[in-house]
Amino acid sequence: MGGKSKNWIWLVVVFIILMIYPIIFTKPFPRHLLIMIFLYGSMGLAWNIIGGYAGQISLGHAIFFGTGAYTSTLMLMKLGISPWLGMLAGGAVSIGIAFIIGYPCFKLAGHYFAIATIAIGEIAMVCMLNWDWAGSAVGLTLPILPEGFINMEFHTTKAPYYYIAFGFLIVAVLITYGVDRSKLGYYFKAIKGDLDGARSLGINTGRYKFYALALSAFLTSICGSFYAQYVLFIDPDSTFPLILSIILCLVATLGGVGTVWGPVIGAAILIPISEFTRIQFGGGGKGTDLIIYGFLIMIISIYQPFGVIGLAKRFKKKESP
Amino acid sequence: MKRVLGFLSSIAIILVLMSPVITSAAEDVKIGVIYPMSGPIAQAGLDNKHAIELALDIINTTKYKNLNLPLAKTEGLPNPGGAKIAVVFADHQGKPDLGLSEAERLLTQAQVVALLGCYNSNVTETASMVAERMKMPFFNPESSSPQLTRRGFKWFFRSTPHDETFSEAMFKCLVDLEKKRGAKFKTIAVAYEDSLYGKDSSRIEKELAKKAGYKVVADIPYRRSATSLTSEVQRLKAANADVLFPTSYASDAILLLRTSKDLEYNPAAIMAQNSGHTDPSFIEAVGKDADGIASRSEFSLDLAAHKPLVKEVNDLFKQRSGRDFSGTSARAFVGFFVLADAINRAGSTKPEAIREALIKTNIPADQLITPWRGVKFDETGQNILGDPIVIQWQGGKSYTVWPFNLATKDLIYPIPKWSERK
Amino acid sequence: MQKGTSMLTPDIILQTVISGILMGCIYALVAVGLCLIWGLMEIVNFAHGEMLMLAMFTSFWAFALYHIDPLLSLPLCMIILFLIGVAVYFIVIRKLLKATFLAQILATFGLGIFLRYLAQFMWSPDFRVIKNPILSGNIGIGGIFVGIPQLVASICCIITFVLLYWFINKTEVGFALLATSEDREAANLMGINSHKMFALGWGIGAACLGVAGALMSNFYYIFPEVGFSFSLIAYVAVALGGFGSIPGSFIAGIIIGVVEFVTGLLIAPAFKYAFVFIIYLLVVFIRPQGLWGRY
Repeated sequence: MGGKSKNWIWLVVVFIILMIYPIIFTKPFPRHLLIMIFLYGSMGLAWNIIGGYAGQISLGHAIFFGTGAYTSTLMLMKLGISPWLGMLAGGAVSIGIAFIIGYPCFKLAGHYFAIATIAIGEIAMVCMLNWDWAGSAVGLTLPILPEGFINMEFHTTKAPYYYIAFGFLIVAVLITYGVDRSKLGYYFKAIKGDLDGARSLGINTGRYKFYALALSAFLTSICGSFYAQYVLFIDPDSTFPLILSIILCLVATLGGVGTVWGPVIGAAILIPISEFTRIQFGGGGKGTDLIIYGFLIMIISIYQPFGVIGLAKRFKKKESP
Repeated sequence: MKRVLGFLSSIAIILVLMSPVITSAAEDVKIGVIYPMSGPIAQAGLDNKHAIELALDIINTTKYKNLNLPLAKTEGLPNPGGAKIAVVFADHQGKPDLGLSEAERLLTQAQVVALLGCYNSNVTETASMVAERMKMPFFNPESSSPQLTRRGFKWFFRSTPHDETFSEAMFKCLVDLEKKRGAKFKTIAVAYEDSLYGKDSSRIEKELAKKAGYKVVADIPYRRSATSLTSEVQRLKAANADVLFPTSYASDAILLLRTSKDLEYNPAAIMAQNSGHTDPSFIEAVGKDADGIASRSEFSLDLAAHKPLVKEVNDLFKQRSGRDFSGTSARAFVGFFVLADAINRAGSTKPEAIREALIKTNIPADQLITPWRGVKFDETGQNILGDPIVIQWQGGKSYTVWPFNLATKDLIYPIPKWSERK
Repeated sequence: MQKGTSMLTPDIILQTVISGILMGCIYALVAVGLCLIWGLMEIVNFAHGEMLMLAMFTSFWAFALYHIDPLLSLPLCMIILFLIGVAVYFIVIRKLLKATFLAQILATFGLGIFLRYLAQFMWSPDFRVIKNPILSGNIGIGGIFVGIPQLVASICCIITFVLLYWFINKTEVGFALLATSEDREAANLMGINSHKMFALGWGIGAACLGVAGALMSNFYYIFPEVGFSFSLIAYVAVALGGFGSIPGSFIAGIIIGVVEFVTGLLIAPAFKYAFVFIIYLLVVFIRPQGLWGRY
């Protein structure tokens, strides 16, 4: 039992550090960095539910992010509804979309499913680029409202954004933990491991795949709404692109797919690297930062096929007698 | 083992937070410049970078004291005690959210006194929001979306005219052409890339066309990264408008032209919105095939006929970058000088002082390489003395063709058909 | 808000269909390369577009530095891309054979980004165009204009495809490739070195890109990001045709070309890619293994 309580102690320590972080680092950039880590960590966890646990590789998750961002923003701009409610509405719309695309797509296996999700993502992108009521390619600029929790806009300091994002991450972790330990998670893992076997056990695989996708969609959508309130500007290129879907997938995989902490660690490593390479090398105009980024993704994927957590597990195995 | 991973992540984060951002003397006045340095529009960003580096050289040294440019005669800025200007460049990769975070980073971590940028109108929009929230000056030399100066911002200044001014000029040119040549235009077609730039510009073109009594017979948005524009050109051919109004970046401008040639689409007149159609890479790629394409512009090399300064500065730029000035890099160059001049008159690096100085800006026409009457801002931060010109490609070179008093050559109309040109 | 449809005559439509077929042949060859690699070892090469970009640049530099016309440098492109394909296999892919699907996607995706920005670093983001190659101009036949580069390109793509098909189905080495893709273990037992086969597969897949790229450089502009749009279409083409069926991918490529051009003309140019993807989804929902897929 010594190992487990050690883990708890570390968790608490990390929690405390993260809680007081904004008090130590008062400039916007360090806070922004962690807000991005929290955001991508949450989305990685969301992706993990369908991709890691249920084993359905979605490369079109950006559609949920964008749906969340646009739904809450449009409700704010056209109806004056608070983003907190808009967020929930966005989540509901995303679940609806998950239903519509889920049922036909779940008939497809492996590569076909993945490419179908890419196709759906691109269709969504084209539609958003041409939908004038929703801003089309020009995008939507959120109105600058008086600061406050209800409006979810803060102008003088990033700290509230930080704590909200941190809160979302904690919720995502708890949900994932819950899924991991529950019957739901058990079904998901069964579907991933052996689809036909699961069916023969009487599991309605279609329905559970949908549950996984719906949950994943909901969480991703919430993050999208947060993003809109944080950046105060959204357009199709920043909320629906293929590269975002790939990054979500990467974040989850890097840290260890199908685990509770994997995506969080993936985000904690990947985001600083991309920021670091861009700051150090990006200004030159030669794209050096992206060369390094691509190279790192390659190396990490090749040499760590089971994610960083897998690597850690291997260390652990070597240590114990 | 989570320890190891947590440790790794912490190191990663610390590395980023401590990354040295600038290497310049502490007394330098730092300006943050945000442009696209990677991605498909990176060439524009690079050009602008060269333009600004040239401007820095002129301001910070006395090498070029003979040029009639602000601050050329002195070394550095005389008013804040001879301080030199240093620039911190950042890359927004064409993404508005990156523009936003880079703006924030530069203003807070890099201690810049003002921001300059960003070329792409959508990135300028978000980056300037940051500056406005933080009450720091934001200077925009070349983004043309009109709404940028219609947000009620107090810290945003733009030296370039915007799309409405440009489009009005294009239509004025058409009217003048009708008068001079007895031509009669009835129908127009608009074809545009589908992001903020294309949509805004085409919207204005359509509104102005309606006002002028022209009928819009084709309205064709296209994806900038399209692998082919054949269907689009087919529709244009079928519509057969009197004048084509394209709004493109360089890559689609090239594809549009080549496809038109392949499909024998012969519009009698083409009136473009700068950017792609006046980009050096466009003309390098298509050469004389571009003959006849007219475009609104803020710069043309033949302005040197009236203003030798233009040629002198262009030669210096060419030495540095291997290319001539384009409308974009010329405006970046001018914009930087306006900002530097304001900081100089402010006599300090306090934001409010710089802002006051910017409001009082009044730069005369002879100190500009662009064909403007000067630089003076109205209460929305917009330069009201910016005058566009219309250039036309002839024999592979661009010539000013409108206004007629500045023109060095006559406007070719109608554009010769492809079959006649072989 | 699409005006101008009243002037669409039958020969404009015919022209569009023909242009669509021509472009489709090129999509088809790109797709075939992808399909070959997938068929052999079930890896989707997400760096396919970037390798196409390298082919186009090879053709460009042969022209710019040594004044070799793209038509003449085509064999050179093919060989260089073949070598690149083999190199990619040995350096990157070999270690991925036992990895998860996910890791393979991400590794090849990372490779794609690496190559794209390396190209930008070395050759700048500028657009390059080959001026006045041997293949230029257009032919008009009764009001229908066909660009000569596009016409020759599609003919060459068809020829390449036929040669490839013959190679795989009628030669010893081709049989070995087929055997390896069907059952790696059994092929090993028969003395076929699967690593050599995989490397060969990658080489040939890349060589297809070499041909397609060299042909496209006659009429398309060349820059580091050019591969992306083509690769998206290639993935859809392979999935539409059915993973594992090379002729399927080829025909699917042509179908996509026609769908793109015709919907662009008749419905709305802004949505033409959406229609391509919609058609793909419709087919695949009805027939999950694609039109000619193996399973």
